[in-house]
Amino acid sequence: MRSYLNLFGKSPIAPLQSHMDYVFRAVHLLKDLLSACEKQDVALMASIAETISECEHQADIIKNDIRNHLRTSLFLSIDKTSLLDILSIQDGIADYAEDVAVLLTLKPLVIPSSFHEELKDFLTKNIETFDEVHKIIMELGELNESSFGGLEAQRVKSIVNSIAIKEHEGDLIQRKLLKKLLAAESELTFTSFFLWQRIIQTIAFVSDLSEKLANRLRMMLQID
Amino acid sequence: MPFDTLLTLLVILAGCYMAWNIGANDVANAMGTSVGSKALTLRQAVLIAAVLEFGGAFFFGNQVSETVQKGIIDISLFEGQPLLLVYGMLASLIAAGAWLQIASYYGWPVSTTHTIVGSIVGFGAVYGGLDAVHWSNVSFIVTSWVISPIAGGILAFLIFSLLRRVVFYSRNPLAETKRLAPFLLFAFFTVFSMILLVNGLQNLEFKLSFWPGLFVASTIGAIGALIGSFLINKIAVDKLSTSESLSAPSREHLIHLREGFSGETEEKMSVILEDMDSFERSLKKKEDPETVSSEYHTVEKIFGYFQIMSACLMAFSHGANDVANAIGPLSGALTVLKTGRIPEEATIPLWTLALGGVGIVIGLATWGWRVIETIGKKITELTPTRGFAAEFGAALTILIATCLGMPISTTHTLVGAVLGVGLARGIGALNLDVTRDIFVSWLVTVPSGAAITVALFYIIKFMFGS
Repeated sequence: MRSYLNLFGKSPIAPLQSHMDYVFRAVHLLKDLLSACEKQDVALMASIAETISECEHQADIIKNDIRNHLRTSLFLSIDKTSLLDILSIQDGIADYAEDVAVLLTLKPLVIPSSFHEELKDFLTKNIETFDEVHKIIMELGELNESSFGGLEAQRVKSIVNSIAIKEHEGDLIQRKLLKKLLAAESELTFTSFFLWQRIIQTIAFVSDLSEKLANRLRMMLQID
Repeated sequence: MPFDTLLTLLVILAGCYMAWNIGANDVANAMGTSVGSKALTLRQAVLIAAVLEFGGAFFFGNQVSETVQKGIIDISLFEGQPLLLVYGMLASLIAAGAWLQIASYYGWPVSTTHTIVGSIVGFGAVYGGLDAVHWSNVSFIVTSWVISPIAGGILAFLIFSLLRRVVFYSRNPLAETKRLAPFLLFAFFTVFSMILLVNGLQNLEFKLSFWPGLFVASTIGAIGALIGSFLINKIAVDKLSTSESLSAPSREHLIHLREGFSGETEEKMSVILEDMDSFERSLKKKEDPETVSSEYHTVEKIFGYFQIMSACLMAFSHGANDVANAIGPLSGALTVLKTGRIPEEATIPLWTLALGGVGIVIGLATWGWRVIETIGKKITELTPTRGFAAEFGAALTILIATCLGMPISTTHTLVGAVLGVGLARGIGALNLDVTRDIFVSWLVTVPSGAAITVALFYIIKFMFGS
């Protein structure tokens, strides 16, 4: 009886999802952070940045918890290396969200009107890309239930495709944005130019990693 | 009190204790997951288990009981002193019961079957010398211990892979389930009635030979499949109920609170609200009729009924195989006490099988239901499709072993079957530590059972004299 009871281990899917929830929170706070930046509300920006960093910290705690409980004797329906990869990519997204928050709050920044719209679009597109992959992670339970195949897997596959498209759209916006940034060279001080360039680059990592995560998840499916 | 009556009473008590132990600890393996997946309520599970365990023990328990009684040691060696055989069997029963009690107290994974076989080998070897043990039979039995979990695993792997291919990987899981249902029902009813017709009812002087049996069994199977698939076709796709209304008042309350506070508490409220939001998002996703999960949900619901079937088969085969651990030694000892000499043939009176069945049911009623409840609560990973595959694979293995008269560990077979489903990527996480437990159980239980039995044997012999 006891050996039967002991047979069942704790599935890491739910912890992985709650890790992703913190990442989700951190990424979505970037929107609020940018609108606070528009309003030049430094106090609000600082508090949002603090919350983002808190989310990242919580995600780290969950990450270590998952890693520390993956004993060699545990047999999972998701390959262990895949699981660790997924976890570290998710964690990377949270790290970049935190980096953006830090870069935006290093010194009071004014968003130049010449690329204000593009910057907002760019962030929105990156968050959209992330939202799609967040959707896949939240469906891991159902995927596990259908044994990583069938209709559910087809759905996930189509989400992965849409992520690739969204990431490409993000790249196009990024190119436009960078052109505008370079054109505004003369209006900006060296530090603001440097910071904007870094911020744009770091935001782009969110969709890059989202696509990477989606491709990693695609590899787990048992469909052609 | 006359000496023989006292001894008879002791033997019956020890046998009943053993049967009680089996009912208390092992029945839960069959029913626990069905309770966990809410396919059965606890009460229904206990009732079904009681009927089928008794049925298995009563109709089908004699094969393995004969092996336990006569196949392990050469009882003709006791020709001169039949009482010593009684002592030996009594010692085996008490030793196995005591060892099980100790082991479950410390949480060691031991098997009733391994213990009783070890006990009988122990007293046979010590009293009759090494020649008294039918080593070839014993090695067969030990081999069957190794093979049964593997066979259960392979069968469960195949069954689950079939389900995966046919149901989960199809574009229309529900329709495929309904298409597959008659075949599964047919297989179930045919196997079940075949066993009863050809082997099981001979206790009631009713026996069909193989071919007529197969004919009648497949007819019953076809009828069962017809009725069953008619019922299954009436199951509609489930829509999960709305849950938004549940959280609305608490959300309002939280927003209210947040407005009333500032600083730390306000932030805390915001965090709780965020948590609620993400919780609701996940709930909504489950409700979304667009998602396929409601279809999979219905598939699991249908398999809930199949899982009840497989649990029935599991309980039946468990009763048939494990009752022998109590009744094999008990009936051997009782026959000697009644006739005063060693029986030529293994004799299993029908009433002893009934006694074993009743013992198991009492064990289930007094303690086993608690274990079913525990297992049901703790094992949520095993959804009906997984549970069905594992239980069906295990039950088939146990039935085959029972037909061959092999006393095997039902728990280990089920563990093997669940591992099989896991290998087919069916289960989120499995502890492979358990396989080590099983190895240890093979190595440790037999010698321990043997040692305790030998000690008890000498104590009993000293007390009653020879």
